[in-house]
Amino acid sequence: MDFDFSPIVDNWGFLAQGLLITIELSVATIVAATLVGIALGLGRVYGPGWLRVPLTFYVDSMRAIPVLVVLVWTFFAFPLVTGITLPPFWAALAALTLHISAFVSEILRAGLNSIRPGQVRAARALGMSGAQIVRKILFPQAVVRMLPAYGSLLSVTIKDTAIASVIAVPDLMRQSETIAAQNYAPIEVFTTAMLAYFLILFPVTRAVEAFYRRVAHLGRS
Amino acid sequence: MESTAAGLRKNGDQPPVVQYDGVVKRFGSLTVLNGVSARVNKGEVVCLIGPSGSGKSTLLRCTNALEIADGGRVVFEGQPLPKTEGELRHVRQRMGMVFQNFELFPHMTALENVAVGPITILGANPAEARAKAQMLLEKVGLGAKGGNHPSALSGGQQQRVAIARALAMDPDVMLFDEPTSALDPETIGEVLNVMKRLAEEGMTMVVVTHEMSFARRVANWILVFDEGRVIEEGPPAQIFDAPTHARTQSFLSHLGWNG
Ligand SMILES: Nc1ncnc2c1ncn2[C@@H]1O[C@H](COP(=O)(O)OP(=O)(O)O)[C@@H](O)[C@H]1O
Ligand SMILES: [Mg+2]
Repeated sequence: MDFDFSPIVDNWGFLAQGLLITIELSVATIVAATLVGIALGLGRVYGPGWLRVPLTFYVDSMRAIPVLVVLVWTFFAFPLVTGITLPPFWAALAALTLHISAFVSEILRAGLNSIRPGQVRAARALGMSGAQIVRKILFPQAVVRMLPAYGSLLSVTIKDTAIASVIAVPDLMRQSETIAAQNYAPIEVFTTAMLAYFLILFPVTRAVEAFYRRVAHLGRS
Repeated sequence: MESTAAGLRKNGDQPPVVQYDGVVKRFGSLTVLNGVSARVNKGEVVCLIGPSGSGKSTLLRCTNALEIADGGRVVFEGQPLPKTEGELRHVRQRMGMVFQNFELFPHMTALENVAVGPITILGANPAEARAKAQMLLEKVGLGAKGGNHPSALSGGQQQRVAIARALAMDPDVMLFDEPTSALDPETIGEVLNVMKRLAEEGMTMVVVTHEMSFARRVANWILVFDEGRVIEEGPPAQIFDAPTHARTQSFLSHLGWNG
């Protein structure tokens, strides 16, 4: 079997644009999902009772529905319901954020609940208020404790962005499909795409692991 | 009895810093404190001794309202403990507490642990709070360790930082809950020395401890707990050399205390 990598060489700019979109969508999703997830997690653990029920329902449903279904619904059904049409990139960002933030909130919740009660007792004994205890004592420790699970979630997020190709976001996956079809070179093009995803993901997960090893003691009470 | 006790006790002629009037505490159907009455005078070191599960920690936690008594009352500097959480916070700010497991905040350096109370709670100027924290670390013999995180300190060092953290709030009374029980034998002494010096400076202290020689040497007054009650109280000489209650005698001999 002969391999011909010339379609990749000839179209490298087109593919690089896709890679850039993948990176943009990943970074935007990670930032948005982290912020939303923190708000969700804090609301679920410390919020008033009337807030916890809908937040729990939201998180549980997001964990039960495939992200692809959320994406397709956001792009095709949401405009029919609301009259608001989102461009593909924004629809993908919204759907991925809806989905990933639920997992961020779960990780944060587990981190907060894993801190032993003596820490709260010590902070209360000093005279801190509930809000001060969360902000100064519990949240920073929970962030450290979440890092390993958060690192895994980062790689899941980057991988999940590939489904945006379904609604024609011109990301790495979509551009690869186009080139592969035009040149009938699926092996060469998709192998290259796999390699590109791996080259993004591998350093990210390793960096988070290495960072966690350096700071783990800050979360160990 | 009250009048003789007042005559015997340090600063017994002045109003007490902490007074317990028939304090009752229940957890579900379990009565953990069954009517505890006692007083802590200014500058006194009062040691709480007695078997595990007799309610000593619970009484300490009722003192600074980490637990709320179900019956009776706790009076702090002439005022019964207030009811609202906001008012209780102000009371807690005036009582220092030291825990068996130190409970230092692991994400902060030793210096930050000591400064966090004044900065966060009292709104102190950060530079001044840090200077004071450094002074307190020096006082507990850890002037060079301010930059270390708790994970880089021994148990005895962590507990001394915890004492400095409590002192940073300028408390009127210090509550110690078995401060040396989690320590290696080699480091117990350094913590007890800090406590002893604090007592000599006139700090009012309530100390739950199994260190009978510390109680014997440093305490002004001993409360013996058993099943949620104070079964016997008195100056150390009396409690250790001539305990009257059979349960006190058996508790002391259980610890290998032979006067
Ligand atoms: N939060 C709690 N919930 C239920 N039971 C408790 C709680 N705290 C303490 N207890 C019980 O109260 C009793 C007295 O506990 P404690 O005050 O810790 O005793 P001590 O400090 O003298 O060992 C024990 O039986 C303990 O199990
Ligand atoms: Mg105890």
